[in-house]
Amino acid sequence: MDSSQLLKGVLDLAVLAVLDERDGYGYDVVRRLREAGLQDVGDASVYGTLRRLFKAGALTSYVVASDEGPHRKYYGLNDVGREMYAASAKTWASFSATMAALLKEGQA
Amino acid sequence: MTPEQYAQAVREALAGHPEREELLEDLDDHLAEIAADSGLPLEDRLGPPEAYAEELAAAYGERPERGPRKRLDPHAWARRVHNGLMGQGPYRSFVGFLPELRPGWWVLRGYVLAMLLLSMTGEGQVAPENPADWAVVAAGVWVSVWFGRRRRRRPVVLAAVAANVVASLALLAGLAQAESPQPREVYMAQPDVWMRQASSDGVYNIQPYAKDGTPLTDVYLYDQDGNPLTTDPEDYGYEVDRSCGEPVLNRYPLPLVERRAALAAETGPSPTPSACPTPQAAPVPAATATPAPVPTPAKTPEKD
Repeated sequence: MDSSQLLKGVLDLAVLAVLDERDGYGYDVVRRLREAGLQDVGDASVYGTLRRLFKAGALTSYVVASDEGPHRKYYGLNDVGREMYAASAKTWASFSATMAALLKEGQA
Repeated sequence: MTPEQYAQAVREALAGHPEREELLEDLDDHLAEIAADSGLPLEDRLGPPEAYAEELAAAYGERPERGPRKRLDPHAWARRVHNGLMGQGPYRSFVGFLPELRPGWWVLRGYVLAMLLLSMTGEGQVAPENPADWAVVAAGVWVSVWFGRRRRRRPVVLAAVAANVVASLALLAGLAQAESPQPREVYMAQPDVWMRQASSDGVYNIQPYAKDGTPLTDVYLYDQDGNPLTTDPEDYGYEVDRSCGEPVLNRYPLPLVERRAALAAETGPSPTPSACPTPQAAPVPAATATPAPVPTPAKTPEKD
């Protein structure tokens, strides 16, 4: 199964999880997702997701001047984002438990 | 491709996007960050700008306008409208009420299809006219109700849809036909033309006289049913003189003028108002035997 298809459904949750850990700028979020094991994540998908979550009012943003490179726009969770993260995480936990149980039954 | 060039290409690819500026607000900084991270060209890392733009728009949730347009799907559109309207209380209760109307529709459908069948075999009609017609209608209604109560399998559903469409069209056609007046109804709605027979014998005006020989004027004539008796002077080259207002057409003798003279009077100087008689208040039988000059059609002005 193509994992990029699965990723589409949970990219919001993955981005929220990364930002819940600590604030980050766009490329930083991409890198951390890849380091976490989501190798297939697309740069444009992450950037588009960040902009959408920001528009939806789940994220705060602030610009940090950088010495060696361009300005960096950091994103972080606000209260709305934290609520969204908690609710999505709960849904995902229940869904993945169901899937795990289903797969176990299938193997038996 | 520099980050600026790449960003510009993405911007162009999203030219029709309604929220392009919001979406691409910090794209330049973001691309510069990626470019600074490694020496690889941006195209190699991110793919062509057009594909990047498409992925961006997909993740953002708004499709770009320039993308392949969705084909118009009437079914999906109707479903969307229906779902939207379901939020409205009156519409919801109307939809909830529809199943109760279904048996009524079955009966109406049977009736309409039976009438359609009868119309095809005979004359166009909207109501049964004899016992045989009634039998066909009863059979049609019975079949329609039986059909409606059957279990729904796919061929049955398709047949039902076809029958419903035909019945609906026939119903609309029947309603339209019933609304437009039939020619014979128009004929029956004009019972007041009585003198036609007399007119064909050359009568287009009536000169009443009292028994002592006095000519009468302003005599109202009616038939046995109270309908006004009128003539057709137009058939004989005369017109009722309308220079004194709209005349009563069954008040005899009629003030007639020759048609040619009437046409000339319309274009020429206005007629003298002194010639007009005082209008009567009510159409009562004129018992007054006032001697009045008999209006004759001979009073024609000189032709020019």
